[in-house]
Amino acid sequence: MSDPRHPPLGLSRRQLLKWGAGVGAAGLLTTTSAQARPIESRAHIVILGGGAGGMAMANRLANRTRGTTITLVEPREIHHYQPGWTLVASGVWNADKTLRPNADFVPAGIRWERQAATAIDAESRRVTLASGEVLAYDALVVATGLQLNYHLIEGMSPELVGSHGIGSVYASIDAASRTNRAIEAWIAQGGGRGLFTAAPTPVKCAGAPLKMTFTTLSRLEVTGQRDAFQVDYMAPGNALFSQPWVNDFVKQRFDEQGVNRYHQYRLSAIDPGARQATFTRVDREAQFTSHHELREEEFRRPEGLTEVIDYDFIHVVPPMSAPDFVKQSALIAQEGPFAGEWLDVDIHTMQHNRYPEVFGIGDVIGAPINKTAASVKAQAPVVEANLLAHLQEQPLQARHNGYTSCPLITGIGKAMLVEFGYDNNLDFLPSFPFIDPRDESWAAWVMKDRMLQPAYYAVLEGQA
Amino acid sequence: MTLSGVITILMYALAPFAWLIVLGLAVLLGVQLVAHLKGYRLFAYRCLGANLVALMIGLSTLWWLPLATHSRLAYVATVTDWVALIGAAIGVGMLAWLVLTPLSYLVRGRRS
Repeated sequence: MSDPRHPPLGLSRRQLLKWGAGVGAAGLLTTTSAQARPIESRAHIVILGGGAGGMAMANRLANRTRGTTITLVEPREIHHYQPGWTLVASGVWNADKTLRPNADFVPAGIRWERQAATAIDAESRRVTLASGEVLAYDALVVATGLQLNYHLIEGMSPELVGSHGIGSVYASIDAASRTNRAIEAWIAQGGGRGLFTAAPTPVKCAGAPLKMTFTTLSRLEVTGQRDAFQVDYMAPGNALFSQPWVNDFVKQRFDEQGVNRYHQYRLSAIDPGARQATFTRVDREAQFTSHHELREEEFRRPEGLTEVIDYDFIHVVPPMSAPDFVKQSALIAQEGPFAGEWLDVDIHTMQHNRYPEVFGIGDVIGAPINKTAASVKAQAPVVEANLLAHLQEQPLQARHNGYTSCPLITGIGKAMLVEFGYDNNLDFLPSFPFIDPRDESWAAWVMKDRMLQPAYYAVLEGQA
Repeated sequence: MTLSGVITILMYALAPFAWLIVLGLAVLLGVQLVAHLKGYRLFAYRCLGANLVALMIGLSTLWWLPLATHSRLAYVATVTDWVALIGAAIGVGMLAWLVLTPLSYLVRGRRS
């Protein structure tokens, strides 16, 4: 019987359509690699999560294996293009532009469990689903994404976004739209104080809090009454961004654009009715970058110095962590900077440090940077190669260099294509010799506005 | 990236503009075909008005293309930006010329 994932000629209908339609344009472009041959295996591979990482792995593994059983555990029917949420919250995109059915991307021939996972038993290699069903696996790809811990900010919940002057681009696509309306309401007010916060944990798209500040500044400047608005950026640490050059750039730009920077301020409570935010002063020695160690208990301990600040608009960035069911499993990091909070993987091979049949990809992993869709693009071929090598009992040779990218929007209409990796103190890793990551440019903006979403979908299909 | 990957990206990028691309090609090919059937030959017929309008349409690209991408001309700053924008302006100008010149021929006939 033929494998439904590998039709005759080795091309799916979707691929055939693309080749037919795109053959003219393809002549203008060069290729760098060819598709490798599939491997034979009887393994059951379970993929937890159908976001960027999980969907990319589902397609890659479906294309690269024969005889395997692949189960994708993803409850959502709709796929969200989350890199577009800042554009929605900035009033540039409509929310609809970020939505597509997951069915468009799930490869043929795999099993799609439309329910959430609730537990992982790493010792017995089993995953429990919401229905109570248990899946045994030979290999597991953890691509669950992360969890937004709004509950660690007293008085805050995602339902508040869009009311009481509260915005938060992270909560959902609906919240991104409501954040846009909250900003519009603040602008319509004609003045007042806006607080833009950052989280004391690693966050997905670490540039998003900065982008929201920059795009809001653009909108305020358009009013011609910029001076009527006070804009404050409340950072829990000394740094605003992990990449050192960009960190210095953003600080300087904030100073030039009249953004007051407050450091060692962690948002700990919010009173929506009174429009007041409580900030806990953080130890000056604490460096809240992606490396820091954080526990929920640390948020619960008796607080020291606090400061209550009135606001007219506040952009809330919640603390983030691996989802609870991952945190409660043996897969969570036991020691080091990611202990208790993030998946314990080798940041170069993406293999779990204690359970070799487990691999991680995307936001859930404990890594100093890398919670972006661009990171998934770089991680996916590494996870694919190393997982297949593991199934064949071969040494793992593929290595992830930490590549990540942040099209840092510095105003509505301009951006910097910031790309960097682990090495040389998070040095730049530009993809295009003609785009300098230090330059604000229209071209980088157009890439963000027009080209990255197509590239993202190609990543989902395992094609990029 | 594989050839298939490049094609996938192009397909997703161009899909929202498929109707515009098809419409533009239909107008271009339609006007060229009808004009050729009526005796028009490329470069053999000249019309100063069509040339000037095509030039203005091309130059206008410098203004409207940044706006169409939610940006503005003031943010076109780097060499890459300008090369891309000028390239687009030349392309639009040539397309306009390829439509307007045979159109002028059809309207004005062989009077020129």
